[in-house]
Amino acid sequence: MSRSRQQVVRMLALVPYLQGNDGVPVNEVAAEFGVPAKVIRDDLRLLMYTGTGEYAGELIDFDLTALEQDGVVHIRDAEFMTRPLRISTREGVALIVALRTLRASASGLELKVIDSALAKLESAVGDTVSAPVDVLLDEVDPTIHGTIVEALTSVKRLELSYATASRDEQSNRDVDPRRLFTEQGKLYLEAWCLKAEDLRFFRLDRIVSARVLAIDAEEHDAKPRDLSDGFFTVGEQTPYALVDLHPRAHWLTEYYQVDLLEQNDDGVWRAKLYGADWSWLRRLVLRNAGSITVIEPDMLRAQVVEDARTALRAYDEGVTPD
Amino acid sequence: MAERKTERLMNLIFALLVSRQYLTKDQIRESIADYRESTPSAFDRKFERDKEELRELGINVEMGQNDKYFNDEPGYRIRRDEAELPDLELTREEAAVIGLATQVWEHAGLASESTTALVKLKAIGVDVDTSVLRMAEPKLSTDEPSFDAMWDAVTRRVPISFVYARPGRDPMERHLQPWGIISWHDRWYVGGFDLDRQASRIFRLSRVVGEVTPEGAAGSYDIPEGTDMKSIAQTLFPPEPAEAAVLRVREGRGQALRRLAEKITPLGDGVDEIELRYSSRWDLASEVASYGPDVVVVSPPDVREAVIIRLTAAVTGTLEVSP
Repeated sequence: MSRSRQQVVRMLALVPYLQGNDGVPVNEVAAEFGVPAKVIRDDLRLLMYTGTGEYAGELIDFDLTALEQDGVVHIRDAEFMTRPLRISTREGVALIVALRTLRASASGLELKVIDSALAKLESAVGDTVSAPVDVLLDEVDPTIHGTIVEALTSVKRLELSYATASRDEQSNRDVDPRRLFTEQGKLYLEAWCLKAEDLRFFRLDRIVSARVLAIDAEEHDAKPRDLSDGFFTVGEQTPYALVDLHPRAHWLTEYYQVDLLEQNDDGVWRAKLYGADWSWLRRLVLRNAGSITVIEPDMLRAQVVEDARTALRAYDEGVTPD
Repeated sequence: MAERKTERLMNLIFALLVSRQYLTKDQIRESIADYRESTPSAFDRKFERDKEELRELGINVEMGQNDKYFNDEPGYRIRRDEAELPDLELTREEAAVIGLATQVWEHAGLASESTTALVKLKAIGVDVDTSVLRMAEPKLSTDEPSFDAMWDAVTRRVPISFVYARPGRDPMERHLQPWGIISWHDRWYVGGFDLDRQASRIFRLSRVVGEVTPEGAAGSYDIPEGTDMKSIAQTLFPPEPAEAAVLRVREGRGQALRRLAEKITPLGDGVDEIELRYSSRWDLASEVASYGPDVVVVSPPDVREAVIIRLTAAVTGTLEVSP
């Protein structure tokens, strides 16, 4: 949407909002509308040239002394518009899709609240909104999800049994839950882990069991990690392997952190493939063996060969009953 | 310039909103300075553009006559009862989820659209306190460069064409009547009627190269009744697991397989036998191979075979295996 269109929409919402919130500070208005205070000041200045006519009393007015000295807004002569315009289709679709996303990550009673909010909103926007936009998150065990929401709501400590993927281990730990969020379409719990004495993220579909303890969760002084670039950011210390990718494995370049180095005529791509740790990389190579080979480092290549050899021995020895 | 247009649009909306009668074009021209100061033809152009602008903003301008019997000149107005936001009677919790919903979009445009909707609700006295709920805080990101154009095409039903490039294949121009878009695993897909294939198809937005070109007017096709993005996107999802497999897994290992297990039987010597259902031989063999010596397939024989092929390729380091 163009800037001037955005401004019209914002100003039309400002007029009734300011009448319902007489004396509101400009900074608060800016925060509510999600724009810098200067934008609101510009809006107010322009609003003074608008109204139902061109004479005093017909044009919208502001208490300029209060605005300049105290930074608060008193609007006058705007009684002709005390209610906002309907939520437009565009606004409605944006909000409805956001609510559907919330719904995809909600559990239990929350679902009912979201459904009734959606129903009321859809009726207010009108039947023009069928919102052909959907959001799917992977399903997680509703019992585990519900237990975590319960612990968050009642501010209680949780006992978790958690499976880590790269090390392929399961461990038990007590945590003080902080929040639930999604990243890459998966649900995560951010919690203070009493074992690690630090903040940790737990993917809900890897939580094997969860139990609310009769202990109040404590506040811990910890800065949450900045996730604006996602969980996995490549740094100087990040392990990587030099690999060759068969066309069947080209999809890996869309899903993982990869630097593409060469594309050969035979369809084989040479690339740097980054991983959180070496065991993750080893498992990825084994999983896609035949479509990916390790060129460097020797250590990883040797590990893959050793793992595969040992595994094949079990088949040679005939572990099947026959 | 832009400011003058904004001012003119605001005054037009206000004039049409407060008038109980239809305003004729002349009356409208008289009441707004910018129109008055324009030549007649410039005024005509501006007025037509402004009406279109209001339509784009979702404001319905009604055309009609004040008195049908006197052959009045037609006029314009905005019906207040249709234009104003009615009361929604939201509960505290419902208001809170709507407040939380405005924090979902990681897309400046859509974040601002949903914020405006929220502000309108606040203007009719809805009290939004998100702290009454403690629920998950999902985020919707839209990193695909074609997202905005797709969103626009889908919400306005505009037929489109675009260049689509699957990895390792030649890019191709595709023609689509988009029915909807769906986010799965944090990636956006567009689904609709593929005019080249004459069938419903789904495309990944990150594989769209360059511009999305509109190929027709808004609303120029119908979306078949009962269209559900989830069922169109079905091709993305693995089918229900039906086949049975038996695996031997070292104690405490094979975590992802254990979560799928229907039955786990300890065999002693630090080995468990796991029974599970799977849908794709290929995927199960990949997963088993990733655990190396910790997991061995007992049955069925074709999964065993697939794992052996995979592991043999890992030993030799060759790239050619049959799938």
